[in-house]
Amino acid sequence: MTHEYMVEIADFIARYLSYMLGAGVHTSRVVRNSKRLGKALGVDVSIHTSQKTATLTVSSGTGDRDTRVLDIPAFPISFEWNADLSALSWAAHDRRMTLEEVRTKFDELVSKPGMNPVFVLFMVSLANASFCRLFGGDIWAMLITFTATMTGFFTRQHLMKNKVNHYIVFIVSAFVASICASSALSLGIETAEIALATSVLYLVPGVPLINGLIDITDGHIQIGISRLVNAFMLIVCIAIGMSITLMMVKDSLL
Amino acid sequence: MKEIFWNSIAEYNAATWPWQLAFMSVATVLTLILWFRPRTWAKVAMKIYMVTVSLWMAFVYYMTFAASREYSNVMAIFWCLMAASWIYDLVTRFSTFQKSGKYRPWGIIMLILPLAYPAVSLLRGCEFPFMTTPMLPSAVALYMLGMLMAFNRKINFFAFILILHWAVTAISKIRIFGIPEDAILAAACIPSMVIFYLQMLDTCRRDLKPSYGPVKILIFAVAAVLAGCMAIA
Repeated sequence: MTHEYMVEIADFIARYLSYMLGAGVHTSRVVRNSKRLGKALGVDVSIHTSQKTATLTVSSGTGDRDTRVLDIPAFPISFEWNADLSALSWAAHDRRMTLEEVRTKFDELVSKPGMNPVFVLFMVSLANASFCRLFGGDIWAMLITFTATMTGFFTRQHLMKNKVNHYIVFIVSAFVASICASSALSLGIETAEIALATSVLYLVPGVPLINGLIDITDGHIQIGISRLVNAFMLIVCIAIGMSITLMMVKDSLL
Repeated sequence: MKEIFWNSIAEYNAATWPWQLAFMSVATVLTLILWFRPRTWAKVAMKIYMVTVSLWMAFVYYMTFAASREYSNVMAIFWCLMAASWIYDLVTRFSTFQKSGKYRPWGIIMLILPLAYPAVSLLRGCEFPFMTTPMLPSAVALYMLGMLMAFNRKINFFAFILILHWAVTAISKIRIFGIPEDAILAAACIPSMVIFYLQMLDTCRRDLKPSYGPVKILIFAVAAVLAGCMAIA
């Protein structure tokens, strides 16, 4: 294997792992898949990850090696990329695909169309209304949760499009959704407090929380703690937004 | 609860009817100017009017006359949020108050609909001041919706979602406070929801998932569920 070819493989694996980490895949899967891909292409892969960057070393059997530090881009959480890119590493391994074939397939997978924002807006609102029902809310509470979530999520989409700091986005979105949901209190709806509580559930950072725990249990302690701290910060932001509403509406947090 | 609700409306009507007439006159003049001879100053003036009328609802209606109602401060904050959406629109100059040529008859009907509030009250046998007027929150929300519908080239979508939320609360108010007039807002909001979301969908890229058809069906399905809830109320 020539040095140039090994660098080409390193370039590709660097791209592969940064896309996977950026899309919210847990670390041990990224490491496992990257190593599998490397093995399929004839190189050994070693990876060190942190929250914002990763260090990758690719070495050939002859002792030639290439090390680089990568920035991890912030992509939206994508279960589709998670599944497709994992499957790609298996396909490369099982079918003995060449670097060119793997690269072409990768480009095809990551350029698939994104989700329609209107569809996401409606589905998130329906999901929150369903949570309201699961926690015992009646039909009126569900309706109010639906539109309150829609207002909050639209605010979030708009602020994120304008590249506002994501902590501020979480505070503002939680405030808007909860203040809209609190209108259920003035109507005297029996399950108004359930509507208020469930209106901000769409903001809960479930994927970073789960990934953080998986990373810690798999031994990737540093990135695990980083992900949990990040998720904790977002939860604090939700709490701030909701507390502003509660202090304005009920003069207390309980 | 129902008695407190109607008493607060009566006190508000008795004390503020000259102001209500003034607000309605300004709205009529600005709407006619925007319809027949649109000018930049009229567009700015209309947005300022929207901010003023939202703050009127928050501070005069909810904080003063409806203060005896439970959690009236929530509604006041909501209308401040509505005012904030129009201030944001005014600052960013987002909505243009331009006609697109689409849905013109529907826009005209919706602009006239706030006047149906007192008409329905009178038909129900209510007497002044124990009746609804075009300067009550739901009628004002309906007027805003009418403006968005009549001048729908580029709309203040944040204000629309807040109106949609208000319409949903209006559906529950029909039953809880015995105010059937609010069915007008709810009934007007459901087709508007379909129209505005389909418009929003048209502005999205065509290669997104899922494709246009299923999202359109989803919008219609949600509108049907809201209509069903209104029928239950």
